[in-house]
Amino acid sequence: MRPGPFGLVPRPAAILIPSRPDSMDVLYQLPQQLVNGLTLGGVYALIAIGYTMVYGILFMLNFAHGEIYMIGGFAGWWVLHLLSSGNRLLMNAALVIALMIIGAMAVSGLVGVLSERFAYRPLRRAPRMNVLLSALGVSIFLQNLVLHFQGAKPRFFHVSALIPQDLRVIEVGGVVFSFMRGLVITVCFLLMGILTYVVKRTKMGKAMRATAQDIEAANFMGIDTDRIIVFVFLIGSALGGAAGTLVGMLFTQVDYYVGFQAGIKGFTAAVLGGIGNIFGAMLGGLILGLLEALATSFFPSAYKDVVAFTVLIVVLVFKPSGLMGERIREKV
Amino acid sequence: MKKTFVAMFTLTAAVLFFIGNAPAGNVKDGISVGNAGAFTGDAAAPCMEIFNSSQIAVDEWNAKGGIQGVKIKHVMGDDAMDPAQASNVAHKFAADKSMYGVIGPPMSHTAQATLKIYGTSDMACITTAASKPELTEQGYNHFFRVNARNDAHGPNCALFIAKELKAEKVAILNEKVAYTENLATQTIKSLKELGVTDILQDTIVGGAKDFSAVMTKVKSYNPDVLFFMATAAPDHAIAVRQMKEFGINAHYFATEGGRDKNDFIEAAEGAAEGAYIYHFSPDIYAIPEAKDYIDKYEEQYGSISGFGPPAYEAMNILLMAIDRAAKDSKITRKEVIEELHRIEDYKGILGFPVTFDEKGDLQGGATYFFKVVDGDFKQVGVMSGM
Repeated sequence: MRPGPFGLVPRPAAILIPSRPDSMDVLYQLPQQLVNGLTLGGVYALIAIGYTMVYGILFMLNFAHGEIYMIGGFAGWWVLHLLSSGNRLLMNAALVIALMIIGAMAVSGLVGVLSERFAYRPLRRAPRMNVLLSALGVSIFLQNLVLHFQGAKPRFFHVSALIPQDLRVIEVGGVVFSFMRGLVITVCFLLMGILTYVVKRTKMGKAMRATAQDIEAANFMGIDTDRIIVFVFLIGSALGGAAGTLVGMLFTQVDYYVGFQAGIKGFTAAVLGGIGNIFGAMLGGLILGLLEALATSFFPSAYKDVVAFTVLIVVLVFKPSGLMGERIREKV
Repeated sequence: MKKTFVAMFTLTAAVLFFIGNAPAGNVKDGISVGNAGAFTGDAAAPCMEIFNSSQIAVDEWNAKGGIQGVKIKHVMGDDAMDPAQASNVAHKFAADKSMYGVIGPPMSHTAQATLKIYGTSDMACITTAASKPELTEQGYNHFFRVNARNDAHGPNCALFIAKELKAEKVAILNEKVAYTENLATQTIKSLKELGVTDILQDTIVGGAKDFSAVMTKVKSYNPDVLFFMATAAPDHAIAVRQMKEFGINAHYFATEGGRDKNDFIEAAEGAAEGAYIYHFSPDIYAIPEAKDYIDKYEEQYGSISGFGPPAYEAMNILLMAIDRAAKDSKITRKEVIEELHRIEDYKGILGFPVTFDEKGDLQGGATYFFKVVDGDFKQVGVMSGM
């Protein structure tokens, strides 16, 4: 007889939650799935913000955003690789983690700005379909660039050096919080908080909102909209890059193909929340992450995406502009 | 409309005619062999090992003077694990008039997708890993394997899980590709026959990089053994790591794709210690006949995981058949297939004699079991039938 996962810790919800872990009870899985879903949701939210910010201003879908996320993962891997020899870190673990995230944000931000400068800005006045195809091209280009220089094999994050052994997993009442999960959730919400502050309270944020509302009017009012667009690409891509490296640390692998799946999930989260609305993207990401995790408890795990997308369709049927989206007014 | 139909019909008939009646080629026009596999993507490492091992065999034959004095060309066809791309590779190979045989495809779903294309062009194929039973049950005679089938692996794994690991509760997760779906069915059937009926069956998405939601489900089921069926080693690394993270107190049991020191054991950073794995080929280091091959491989390409030796064997068998078919300087693909069916008790480096039955299957296939001990695979058992 093996000891139950609860050990000696008394549980307040003992009446609701069956104590015998031998049963396939959904209630028993629920708290853990919430933790799983929250982690995933935070990451989806970070990716979705990049889609939604660009769409809010330029009305274009930046298909290359998934690859920006993937490049962030690789950048984080390289920082970790360069700052460690074998399984030993060359400096303080907290510093390495911070540098990984900052490095990934910097590299992804740069790639985002460059793609705007060379692939989207020249097409600013072209029909929208052209920009869409250009974005698709950037996506394929970036994916193959990474494939060429980094190879097809996944890169492994040797994360064991980053976290002390006794901090790695904390179990409370049968729910497992790993250190990395905590880190991912914290960083995701911290970054979203900073973004909210920037958008709502700073001059730059005001200019961004003005540009999103009416780009030409903003131009007339003396706002350098080209600069704002660059800034939006910088922030959106940097957040995507942060998500890439966080997922790399959490799931310990990155390869040239991870951007595709992540891009689809981020885009879905953005649409679910109402594309063009930053807070909608955050909400959409969290809901999508939670849905996927919870769906696994009720259905075979391979169908989790089916469940998530079914919910998306149902939401869009009743609220075509997404959960927090506004009806787009036709500009005259 | 009618004209187009007639034209299409004539064209199809013409194409079929030429495919069906390939004229006997002259050996002097060149001899090449193909190698189909997923040389990019998550399974790139084992597939490259297959290719490199085949290359060693080709190099050895060429050093001896090739076939009838003609040097053999070894052509790579990358399908990236995708059935559609595998079909493209197969069409390309079939159109190559100097090609007389193919090693691969190593995966059941790509093998299934290309079975008809290779079959109608009489191209001999020797797979080194595809184990779905139906592949040799569809009436074709061109498809051979040097590995055992799932209907051997499934019962053997069930036997190991029930008898050696003494499991009463088993969780089986599969990736929902042809090979794992089939292996899951076979294993569950045999487990039930052995009296193990408490089984959780679920599915995963390959390459998803995260299995925490399904691991939560497994944890609440609390099994003795988690049989994780995924094609690629990196998936096993994540799965075993997350199993430990969630504190699931079960034996991790991996499918053959996990037999990769770098991508499974080292990638899991210690979490793989104590995990079990089954594989279709034995510990090659324990076989004296394999020493020469091992030395050559390690000198040129690095360490061997287990996918290489069957490929070296398969290529040698294929070249032997081509050599026999080319005795009179004339050769057809059909002759190569006939020669392969005549192979009997070929003794190479695998430690067991290779004979193909009339369907092209290996006679008397066995399953080998390994345990991860001190960061390496240690052979702990072999099963051959219930």
